[in-house]
Amino acid sequence: MVQAFRLVRALLQHQKRTFFIAVGGASVFAACTVGSAIVVRKVIDDVITPRFEDGEVSVSTVVSVLGTLILLGLVRAVGVVVRRTWAGRTTWRVTERLSAEVVDRLAEQPVPWHRRQTTGDLITRAGVDAEAATAVLGPLPFASGVVVLVFLSSAWLLITDLPLGIAAVLVFPLLIALNVGYQRRVDRYYNTAQDELGRLSAAVHESFDGVAGVKSFGAEHRETERLAVIADRLRTARLGAVRLRSVFEALLDGIPSVVNIGLLVAGAFRVRSGAMTVGELTSFIYLFTLLVFPLRLIGFTLSELPHSLAGWTRIRSLLDQPVEADPALSLRHGDDNSVVLDDVHYSHDGEREVLRGVNARIDGGRTVAVVGATGAGKTTLLHLVAGLIATDRGSVTVPDGGAHIVFQEAFMLAGTVRDNVSLGAEVAPDAVELALQVAEADFVHQLAEGLDTEIGERGVGLSGGQRQRLALARALVRRPSVLLLDDTTSALDPSTEAKVIANLRAALSTTTVIAVASRPSTISLADDVLYLVDGEVVAHGLHDELMNAVPAYRELIEAFEHDRAAMDAALAEEAT
Amino acid sequence: MSEPVSRWSAAETIGKGVRAAPALRIGFVTTLGLALVGAAGRVVIPILVQQAVDRGLSPSGVKVETVIRMGVIAFVVICIATWAQRTAVYRLGRRSEEALYGLRVRLFEHIHRLSIADHSEERKGALVARVTSDVETLAQFFQWGGLAWLLDGTLMLLVAGVMLAYDWVLAVVAFIVAAPLAFVLQRVQRHLSKAYDSARSKNANVMTQISEVVSGAETLRAYDAGDRYATHVKKASHERSNSFIRAGTIGAFLFPSGEVFGVLTVSAVVVTGLVRGPDSGLTAGAMVGFLFLTYRFLEPIAEFTEVLDQTQTAVAGMRRVLGVLEIPIGPPEPAVPMTLPVGALAVTIDRVDFSYRSRGDTDEPPVLVDLTAHIPAGQQVAVVGETGSGKTTLGRLIARLADPTAGTVLVGGVPLTRVSNVDLRDRLTVVPQEPFLFEGTIAANLLFARPNLTIADLEAAIDALDLRDWLDTLPEGIDTEVGERGAQLSAGERQLVALIRASLVDPDVLVLDEATSSVDALTEVRLARALERLASGRTTIAIAHRLSTAARADRVLVLDHGRLVEDGTHTELVQAGGTYTRMYDAWVAATSAG
Repeated sequence: MVQAFRLVRALLQHQKRTFFIAVGGASVFAACTVGSAIVVRKVIDDVITPRFEDGEVSVSTVVSVLGTLILLGLVRAVGVVVRRTWAGRTTWRVTERLSAEVVDRLAEQPVPWHRRQTTGDLITRAGVDAEAATAVLGPLPFASGVVVLVFLSSAWLLITDLPLGIAAVLVFPLLIALNVGYQRRVDRYYNTAQDELGRLSAAVHESFDGVAGVKSFGAEHRETERLAVIADRLRTARLGAVRLRSVFEALLDGIPSVVNIGLLVAGAFRVRSGAMTVGELTSFIYLFTLLVFPLRLIGFTLSELPHSLAGWTRIRSLLDQPVEADPALSLRHGDDNSVVLDDVHYSHDGEREVLRGVNARIDGGRTVAVVGATGAGKTTLLHLVAGLIATDRGSVTVPDGGAHIVFQEAFMLAGTVRDNVSLGAEVAPDAVELALQVAEADFVHQLAEGLDTEIGERGVGLSGGQRQRLALARALVRRPSVLLLDDTTSALDPSTEAKVIANLRAALSTTTVIAVASRPSTISLADDVLYLVDGEVVAHGLHDELMNAVPAYRELIEAFEHDRAAMDAALAEEAT
Repeated sequence: MSEPVSRWSAAETIGKGVRAAPALRIGFVTTLGLALVGAAGRVVIPILVQQAVDRGLSPSGVKVETVIRMGVIAFVVICIATWAQRTAVYRLGRRSEEALYGLRVRLFEHIHRLSIADHSEERKGALVARVTSDVETLAQFFQWGGLAWLLDGTLMLLVAGVMLAYDWVLAVVAFIVAAPLAFVLQRVQRHLSKAYDSARSKNANVMTQISEVVSGAETLRAYDAGDRYATHVKKASHERSNSFIRAGTIGAFLFPSGEVFGVLTVSAVVVTGLVRGPDSGLTAGAMVGFLFLTYRFLEPIAEFTEVLDQTQTAVAGMRRVLGVLEIPIGPPEPAVPMTLPVGALAVTIDRVDFSYRSRGDTDEPPVLVDLTAHIPAGQQVAVVGETGSGKTTLGRLIARLADPTAGTVLVGGVPLTRVSNVDLRDRLTVVPQEPFLFEGTIAANLLFARPNLTIADLEAAIDALDLRDWLDTLPEGIDTEVGERGAQLSAGERQLVALIRASLVDPDVLVLDEATSSVDALTEVRLARALERLASGRTTIAIAHRLSTAARADRVLVLDHGRLVEDGTHTELVQAGGTYTRMYDAWVAATSAG
């Protein structure tokens, strides 16, 4: 309960006013509900009874009583509108604020922090968790109103008739307990059902994707049976909820009715002894009927609490992590366009070292191919120069403008081609045009709306090669002093790749290019080769020199050609 | 596929839906009867109050005994009604869950039996949606809307009946005053569902943007664009809030409009009653009872408008589900099957055309055009061509995952349309490009091909393909979990599992769709070795993405835009100066260091 109070207080920090307007609306509703019970008594005692028992009733009484009834109804309705409108405002403004805090934090945290998180988890926290955390705010004003309602009704019931009032008031806790207990238990079934539904969806996706395989083994029926087992678990979970619900719904209708019968019978004694009027007794019963639905809401609100608390805790744990230092700040800056690595060490999580004392000097304007087997540390080296991660030991010196990296996987954001090149920065149209030319990305002009064509999920799909060329243009438009290419041209066909590299040389003669390369054709286009083995620079020089002087390097290059050699052998065999 | 179905009216759809899910019909009349008894419990109190006021609590003298007697009767009725309501709700719930389960299973089976022509990439998502979200709209309907129809529908009918029985004049007055409410609610509901549609799409937008900021974190960092994109997200999130607040404000008017009409109706009833007075036979008790009945009558109306909306959604979902069940299932079984000859089988493709079925009215462009080729028994053939040349489709037609739009495919001289499915699957196996692995162990995935084999048989097959060394590298050997879609294995390892699985079938014809994904050197060696063993002695059609595979084949077929443009050995085609020569040159350039 303390936790719940803290949660609500923290959530409402900036939305107190809207929230209390909603609570005000709910209180008006509560007051009018009790008020309408009083008017119902008047309708019976002052209007109906006189007319039907005594034969006469004054028009002014009728007008004033019914007028009050209608007025109360209207005010009550206004109360509901105010409560619902402002409760919605509170919930969504708080959700918005939480999401914003999380997103800001995501933007603030550097790459090493991001690498320690899982993507799905972060997305959940900024989206679903923020909504879950605030879910309790929706029904909360109404629940507060219900509390007011319970107090006012109790007071009215007790004032009208003490003994009968006590009996009626004692039923409230029973109904609330019934509601809360039911919600807790039924939620368990609903949560299980939700999980099973998720599993079923995943399995169906898996299965329909593999339909060719299923059919080719004639396994349609077996596959159906496999899915049916999962569907059956979903059914079982749902059935549990249905069973519980059927009992609860029936009890929730039945118990108040039974209480009403009791009130009526007991009331008959009170009416006979002259302690209360027929109108009072009827309004008693009327009020009790009105309370059944609001009481359900208390159970509902309490059942939202655990979800909200869980969402809130997950968001807090993310926001409570300190913002880590930006690795780019640890870069040193030199006077020219050269890149210098001085005894650079790097390890993931302090365990096995990926780079073990790398020393290299790459002069301004050179194009260097970084070559090595998988796991040699090529990509890590590029990320260090880009300032995405920081060295454990040693220093990296880059020019003042820093380096721009083009990743292996070209990440495209939803938006236009232009947005994807500029990434929101102010860029001159000419510069974009030039960058696209150099990156051989002229294909964008063939797209329906040129640079303004939407790409990504809701736009046109681009091939891997097209994406890579756009990602390259994205770097080029920034006129980088140092350009880092992480196997960037791998999805391009060899002739396009050659053109791109030739363009780069022509357009960016002073730019230093460091390119991770795994294709012989790419390597041959570089000035120098930096050969890495297990996190150490084994050789740094011309490709031809390395081929002669470094046997391991030669083997690696030959392995790249192995595929072709295999075919040549097959050919030779065929020829004989 | 949606053409004939979308013309069905709501009533037709519901009728067909009930036939498709027969569990719904079982004992429905009893359920309805029980619901009616249950509803009776909810009019007990108004009737009791009326009776008590008229007969037990009149100013002439309170007859406590009469009230007690009435109370006892009412109590008994309430108990019966409560039990009846519980039973009705449970019965409806159980039957609808059974019906949904049956519908899901029917959909699984039907969709798996559809021709591969109906499983094009664009349609895959739609088919998954039929089984998940569309069936789910039905489930939601049964959980809330269906229940409301059952309970509130019977209640409103019963209350209206009781009102008419008490005093038809008052009842008619009440109905007339309350009638415009239905109209108002419908209007509000229409605005509301539009507002929620827009809010939901804004919500999806926020989710997309959030996921971009997270998955693109490195790119955004590298280009210092994190703050700019965070601002985008915040803007989208603000718009989403506005949208939901707007929808909420419209929704806020839904429920209170029932309240307003409630007091208006009650006032009208009271005034009418007063004017008519006791001379018309009305009693004070009937008036009081009427007040209660009027509230009970109006109570469910606001809920009903939501239910109507949900019902429409459910009917639309049902229509789509039925639409899928209407698609005729895959290549049909022959009426009089012919048996495939014993021994190695030749494959003949005779003037074959093919196009995938489209989603709309317009036809998709043809994938294969007038293709003819004869592959003698035991020959190793590679089919090459650029992406979109139709080579994967050709493999699918040979495996009869779909029938050609025109022309014939023959295996062992028998047209595929005359071969029974069981016979064909025994003799011909496909290894698809991205093999289908489901969550479970390697053994379970292998047994998928032949469920009656033993683990020893599996082990033997693995040894026969010389893959023991690979299996030993896995943490749990043959019991290693492969994860959803086999994600725990590398792309190459998934191919290995697929090859072992194909070998368990011991087919005479093997159709192999080579994976495009790159594979590490060691796995590449294993794949090549296993494949060679698997292919030997069988007619093999390899859909080749690597020219080295083509070079090893006895014969190469080159496809270009669905047509067979070249046919010959690798050596011949390299020298021919055509499509294949160009492909070869490009490939040589990519693998040689200048």
